[in-house]
Amino acid sequence: MNIPNINLIHAYRIAPWRIQRQWIGNALLLVVILAMVAALYLNVTSRTAIAGREIQDLMNAIAISQQASSDLQTQLASLTSSVAFETRARELGFRPIQPEDLEYLIVPGYVAPQPLNLSSNTAPQLSALTIPPEYNQSLLDWLDERISSRRIQ
Amino acid sequence: MRSQYARRVQVLAGAMLLIALGIVVQLTRIQNSPEAAVFRQQAENYAYEWKTFYPNRGEIYDRNGRLLAGQKTVYEIGVDLNTVTDPHAIAFAVSRELGLNYDNLMNVIQNPPEGISYLVLADFVDAQKALNLQELKRALQEQAGTSGLGGLTGLQFKAHPQRSYPENALASNILGFVNREGKGYFGIEENYDNLLAGNPVTVLIPTDPNKAYEIPRVPDGTTMILTINRDLQAAAEDILDNALLEYGAQDGTIVIMNPQNGELLAMAVSRRMDLNNFWNYGTVYNNATEFNPVISKTYEPGSVLKILTMAAALDTNTVTPNTTYLDTGSVLIGGVTIQNWDRNPWGIQNMIGCLQHSLNVCMVNLSTQMGATNFYNYMDAFGLGHLTGVDLAGESAGRLKVPGDADWYPVDLGTNSFGQGVAVTPIQMMAAVSAVANDGRMVTPHVLYAMVRDGRQYDVPAQFSGSPISTQTADTLTEMLAVSLESESSLALVPGYRVAGKTGTAQIPVNGFYDGTQTNASFIGWGPVDDPQFMIYVWLERPTTSPWGSETAAPVFSEMAQKTVILLDIPPDFIRQQIASQ
Repeated sequence: MNIPNINLIHAYRIAPWRIQRQWIGNALLLVVILAMVAALYLNVTSRTAIAGREIQDLMNAIAISQQASSDLQTQLASLTSSVAFETRARELGFRPIQPEDLEYLIVPGYVAPQPLNLSSNTAPQLSALTIPPEYNQSLLDWLDERISSRRIQ
Repeated sequence: MRSQYARRVQVLAGAMLLIALGIVVQLTRIQNSPEAAVFRQQAENYAYEWKTFYPNRGEIYDRNGRLLAGQKTVYEIGVDLNTVTDPHAIAFAVSRELGLNYDNLMNVIQNPPEGISYLVLADFVDAQKALNLQELKRALQEQAGTSGLGGLTGLQFKAHPQRSYPENALASNILGFVNREGKGYFGIEENYDNLLAGNPVTVLIPTDPNKAYEIPRVPDGTTMILTINRDLQAAAEDILDNALLEYGAQDGTIVIMNPQNGELLAMAVSRRMDLNNFWNYGTVYNNATEFNPVISKTYEPGSVLKILTMAAALDTNTVTPNTTYLDTGSVLIGGVTIQNWDRNPWGIQNMIGCLQHSLNVCMVNLSTQMGATNFYNYMDAFGLGHLTGVDLAGESAGRLKVPGDADWYPVDLGTNSFGQGVAVTPIQMMAAVSAVANDGRMVTPHVLYAMVRDGRQYDVPAQFSGSPISTQTADTLTEMLAVSLESESSLALVPGYRVAGKTGTAQIPVNGFYDGTQTNASFIGWGPVDDPQFMIYVWLERPTTSPWGSETAAPVFSEMAQKTVILLDIPPDFIRQQIASQ
């Protein structure tokens, strides 16, 4: 019954490099795992950084667009201001209407213009303070949070 | 041989292990050294910064969507002192484009305040001038090529919004203005400054651009839609300017309001300023009350106040329209003799004649008959001496002396009844007389039609500030005033439309005495009588062609009313009656 054990010990004695190879194999496995974790971390970090950059760019683009929109709106208002309109109308040969020029017609179903309504059909802008931690938390932050929460428990 | 090789490997492995161990130990030591703590603290100090996001100021529109106040982009121009290569080029270019002093610019660039790396050379620079400088900088950079640096390297441009008023001086007294610090002054800009400006949001953000940070939500300031009709406002200002010239008046105002809901449709004043050049305020106005006299400037209204006295007399059943009295041309009250405007007796008159001829003696009789308590209770109910609550900054309350006040005398009961010795603002008179035009209900004048925030519009409901008189009194008095205008073929009449109203000619007190040559000429009227849609108040200060309101303010009212019915699409009475009969 003891013969197989004797044989195994004998085999290691005549080939001690097998134990070394086993150690090397384990070490290499650890290195590979660490390399994979590092690569994953690098990947996540780089993607987060790119997303951060894109957010900054988009915010700048939004700000520039809003400024351009305000500029154009103000320019349009200047071009259609009361004084500008009256000047252009006079240049084109128009004159202010007089009461005697008016002729009123009864139009069935006519609805007088209503004052301005600037209500928007689109939903109000949702708060952007809802970026989940997955998008701005590093792996180390996540580990730190986990360890801290364990400690608290 | 094999054992020797194995030993060498073991020695080498041991040495490498020792080195690795040494590195780890050293790393740990450095990480936990006192110096590391200092560096960590420094890094934390610069890792984040507080940043405040300012919302865009809300826009202001008239009731038909015409932009009255918006934003335009201007630039802050500065230099990054760490990257400047040619201070002379920067000073020369900036001084030439912006008209600044070259020596001052050179001095400030070469001798900047200690400890700064960015220096502001000019702010609120017009977009076109900034663009010219940007193009020059780009051209010089291209000239220098990819290897060199352009002469304007270090010159930086930061865009930011600035308040802009496309209509320039139009409705300046209503809008007010915003200074460069973003604070509103006068009018809507001051009264609704907090809503228009919005709420700045301050957040802690990482300085590392590679870190994503939370985007603060900064809602724009509230947008305002006014009750003002831009075209009517322009017409009112035009008519007022012409009236000042035609009648030689010193100043004046024209106010148009819907008497059924208190919406102010136009409010013209003679002194206006281009709001885009608000720094000229001091050259245009002598004091704050001149910015918008409609709400700020008090004066003795004169005969237009007879409407309120008659309303009180009718409401207390002191008189009816057919009540007659003998006008002797003068009456004694409080030891003082009061005379009619022409110092003549008018014989037997009923109450319509009393209004038609604007008889002071009649009004003194009415106030004494109803008694001081009744009279002043009604004047108080009409809001004299109180703020109307109009949503514009800078309103004055005026002054109504009442029995018991140190400066009240019995004669005041007589003089107050025809508008002397009482200080009101035009907007107070509008609010008070609106009770007569609006079936006894007094409206609160306002200029805000609606607010828009987060895409939703909130309309402002009409507000009423009491019912000082009954509906019957209001209707009776309106009819009396309409008949009195028609009977005297007043210059205030509007062809095709039945209107009611009253003239006012008030002497101006100078050094405690009334100056017979200087008057406040006014007219307040509304129409169409059967469905009032506009109420117009005209006030001309010190007209020189004629002192009388009937010859100056009344025709201005008529002209304004004719323009108003066109711009508000109000058909003549017979057309409306045709529509009603269908």
